[in-house]
Amino acid sequence: MSETFDIHFLIQTFFVALSGVPTALIVTIVSLIVALPLGFLLALTRINRIPVLQWFSQVYVSFIRGTPVIVQIFIVYSSVPLFLTSLFKFYHVSVDVYKINPIWYAFIVFGLNSTALMIEVFRSAISTVSKGQLEAAYSVGLTNLQAFRRIIIPQTLVVALPNICTVTINLIKATSLGYAMSLQEITLKAKVAANANYNYVEAYIDIFLVYLMLCSLVEYLFKRYEKHLRKYKTVAA
Amino acid sequence: MLEIKDVHKSFGKNEILKGVSLKIDKGDVVVILGPSGSGKTTLLRIINFLERADKGHAIFDDTDVNLKTASKKQIHRIRQKVAFIFQNYNLFHNKTALENVTEGLIIGRKVPKKEAVEMGKNALDKVGLSEKYHAYPSELSGGQQQRVGIARAVALNPDIILFDEPTSALDPEWVGEVLNVMKTIAKEGTTMLVVTHEMSFAKDVANKVIFMDGGVIVEEGTPKGIFTNPKEDRTRQFLRRVLPEDYMVYI
Repeated sequence: MSETFDIHFLIQTFFVALSGVPTALIVTIVSLIVALPLGFLLALTRINRIPVLQWFSQVYVSFIRGTPVIVQIFIVYSSVPLFLTSLFKFYHVSVDVYKINPIWYAFIVFGLNSTALMIEVFRSAISTVSKGQLEAAYSVGLTNLQAFRRIIIPQTLVVALPNICTVTINLIKATSLGYAMSLQEITLKAKVAANANYNYVEAYIDIFLVYLMLCSLVEYLFKRYEKHLRKYKTVAA
Repeated sequence: MLEIKDVHKSFGKNEILKGVSLKIDKGDVVVILGPSGSGKTTLLRIINFLERADKGHAIFDDTDVNLKTASKKQIHRIRQKVAFIFQNYNLFHNKTALENVTEGLIIGRKVPKKEAVEMGKNALDKVGLSEKYHAYPSELSGGQQQRVGIARAVALNPDIILFDEPTSALDPEWVGEVLNVMKTIAKEGTTMLVVTHEMSFAKDVANKVIFMDGGVIVEEGTPKGIFTNPKEDRTRQFLRRVLPEDYMVYI
């Protein structure tokens, strides 16, 4: 531990931590791009009781929810390279597995993780939109896809949005665990900077502030979007 | 125009329809009466493929469609001809009244938007909602919502409109306005198949009344025939239950 509180270092490292934001955001966004449609579809398999698939998503959700993210990271980060090495060997691909950017593992871990959470978010949201509206859409000549895109999904989103916001914010915070696979994100960058002179307190304050700012901004954007989507519910039913 | 042949349907062990056949001509207003659980609603839903029959055929004009095995394409074609009014209105909650009406025109039928809006406004005018084009369903009363539902069906200019207990979910104060709209479109020559408990509508507007019980058609005839001189015991018992005591005398 450093002996004095170093304001100069605090300010300097703040920007170091800030430089990790793009990585954290890219991981978050890619994970959401995977998780939102996949979670929605798997939620539908459960609502419509599609054999095998509904069983799969149920087991999937309990596996992901029942294990810590850090353990999931350890498993993916240690097993996937092994698997790839033997795969590349078999097909004579000359790629050094250990030079793969850890961000790809982050995509896998956080994508899989958020998908499980989204299944649960959508499962409750979809069931709030009455099935009758789907039937009405069919009866006026909409196809299944059109009915979902124009009638069901917009309403589902409004209901799901607060929970999607929670999942997103948890996801941003969870990317801090990426340091376990040397992902160059906020936490890792600040900690590395602190290593030189043991200015951990300053670094932790910086990390704290950066996450707080990032999450507050995301929360604000979600609120704005929710307001925009909610226009048809201005009058209580 | 529309003929239904030998429709069967079971839910699990419960046999809801045990071979129902009926024929509707252009301009007919057919009312189906019957106690709850007699299969009226299921029959209507099967005609619009909201439910698959276990067996049965529908013949629209000259096209014969198997109600059990119809392809997506056939279903789509039939839904172009048949509109449906739901007991719970089932309006799209994320769309205004006008958008509810134009949705099927623009997306389902590929009508140009400008034209569709015009048609939508006409349909809403017809049901007396000229003031409510841009209101969302949550801003409308039950009666107004059901009138939007009717406008949504009418705008599609279907060959036949199926009404599934259109007034059953309404507060009594709104029943009258919905029935009036139904009367108006019936007078315009719209072909209608109506499941309802509104005896006055059956008596005044229908030209054919069907009485269903236990998954079969027990009796059918003119309103006058059914109400004043029912031939079957079951019909008589049902009417005695649902009609005021001296009602039959006055028909």
